[in-house]
Amino acid sequence: MLKINDLTVAVNDGETEILKGLTLEIPAGEVHAIMGPNGAGKSTLSYALTGRDGYDISGGSIDYLGNDLTEMEPEERAAAGLFLSFQYPLEIPGVPTMTFLKTALNAQRKARGEDELTAPEFLKKARAIAADLKIKPDMLKRPLNVGFSGGEKKRMEIFQMLMLEPKFLVMDETDSGLDVDALRIVADGVNRLRNPERGMLVITHYQRLLDYIVPDKVHVLVDGKIAATGDADFAKTLESEGYDKYAA
Amino acid sequence: MTSVIEKLPHRRLEAWKWTDLRGQVSDARTGLSQVMRPQFYLPDGISISEGEGASSDSAMGNLAAQFCSMSWNVYVPANTQLDAPIVLDELTQGHMRLAIMVDKGASLNLVEYHRGSESGFANLDIHILLAEGASLERTIVQDDPKDMVRISTACIAMETGASLSQYALSFGGGLTRLETRLYGDGEGVNARINGAYLLEGQRHTDMTSVVHLKHPNSHIRQSVKGVVTDKARGVFQGKFHVERPAQFTDAEMRHDALMLSDRAQIRSKPELEIYADDVACAHGNTIGALDESALFYMRQRGIPLQQARALLMEAFLTDVFDDLEDEALQASLVDKLRTRLEALS
Repeated sequence: MLKINDLTVAVNDGETEILKGLTLEIPAGEVHAIMGPNGAGKSTLSYALTGRDGYDISGGSIDYLGNDLTEMEPEERAAAGLFLSFQYPLEIPGVPTMTFLKTALNAQRKARGEDELTAPEFLKKARAIAADLKIKPDMLKRPLNVGFSGGEKKRMEIFQMLMLEPKFLVMDETDSGLDVDALRIVADGVNRLRNPERGMLVITHYQRLLDYIVPDKVHVLVDGKIAATGDADFAKTLESEGYDKYAA
Repeated sequence: MTSVIEKLPHRRLEAWKWTDLRGQVSDARTGLSQVMRPQFYLPDGISISEGEGASSDSAMGNLAAQFCSMSWNVYVPANTQLDAPIVLDELTQGHMRLAIMVDKGASLNLVEYHRGSESGFANLDIHILLAEGASLERTIVQDDPKDMVRISTACIAMETGASLSQYALSFGGGLTRLETRLYGDGEGVNARINGAYLLEGQRHTDMTSVVHLKHPNSHIRQSVKGVVTDKARGVFQGKFHVERPAQFTDAEMRHDALMLSDRAQIRSKPELEIYADDVACAHGNTIGALDESALFYMRQRGIPLQQARALLMEAFLTDVFDDLEDEALQASLVDKLRTRLEALS
């Protein structure tokens, strides 16, 4: 589903290379986790996948469902089903959460040549998902993420994810800022989306999240490359042993 | 004809240094030596007459008086509560004088549509008196052709306990100036003076205001927001003048603008002149660009770049209209802005 081959990515106008030949394949239906120390390039990978300005791809390729991802605009990638749950979700002043999400959902549907969702259809879906995630209805009327706590913002990312029903999810440090109860709610939301057509990449610093979202494979990212790969238990080993032995 | 141009203020005057009216106006302008033919839509019970009107001490006011020996006079009797606004339209070109008196305890909604003609010139001299306890909600929609020159000056005198809510939406023109001069002639006046401007091409808008307080316990809130792109130019001049007796004044002035192009300009001059010692007066002024991180976030959710920019700008600008009580009118202002924003490239 997602094939990353020998990817190099640089920031600072191409001066600082962060990813240095990363190769990774995630088939449909699988959940892969990426763990690694600070500065290994985890967030850079998520931005390179989603097409953020300032992340220059200087080598290698990213194939997503047969398309060259690097040739697509961020909104085209989103319409093709790629979703990033941000480590630090942005505040969007003045734009109510519902307006934002309805605009996003209908823009994606339009780009895919599907009919736009009517207001009642949208509202019904939003209310049901909000209730599942224990999000109060009045939060959806407030400007997106403005004044929300760290945990509320993360919950709102999952809310958007369940509303947009992406094909491939990238979760960047989704567990940070969450207490155990919120973590369980978020993980339940993510697990609900697991199915044979959907792929997921879970980026995390700690093993804790992987107790709730059990991955098929765990990769260690060190210094811009995948240094080792294992199964779900491998995360526990990493947690106890640390990343030092993979350092160059 | 030359004599008219010589009477126009020019950039060597401090108050007009960023809005060089004389430099923009030639004899070819239509309306320069004409009387304006406005259209008034009046609610039941309100009549209009012609009379001497209020005298002006400004250059533009004197110029209007030169062409209009009579002023339109509107009188709202004491304690009148109108269920419909007074609407002014066809403010197309030429000079006009208007005086409105809202008597004690009465309230009025005034809506002005400033829509001009190609290469036109308009000069409006408006005087409003809000008597004790009277209130006014004034909404100004200015949507002129790109080469129209328009000066609109409103002097609003407020007596004890009077209140004003003013909302201006401006799309600029060859040169546009919407000036508000507010005089607190009694204790405890309450005013909100908000405005938004959106300028493209080489359009120019100037929002100038002077708030002059002479008595205690007044509450003033001002928020003007602007977006400029291409080679457009936005001007904000705001002044709070608080005299010694005007103790316990609570006044706040804000001007916030987004510049979307390197060649666009914003000129801003906030002024506080305060002689009373127990007041809370503040001003703030920001100029920035659209938040790139927010734009990426929106695009990652599937919102195309142009739409994301329009959405952020709409949210930025329209919050100055949040407190507009006439909801249908508020929605129409937001709609106008949205249409213009979507057309921006």
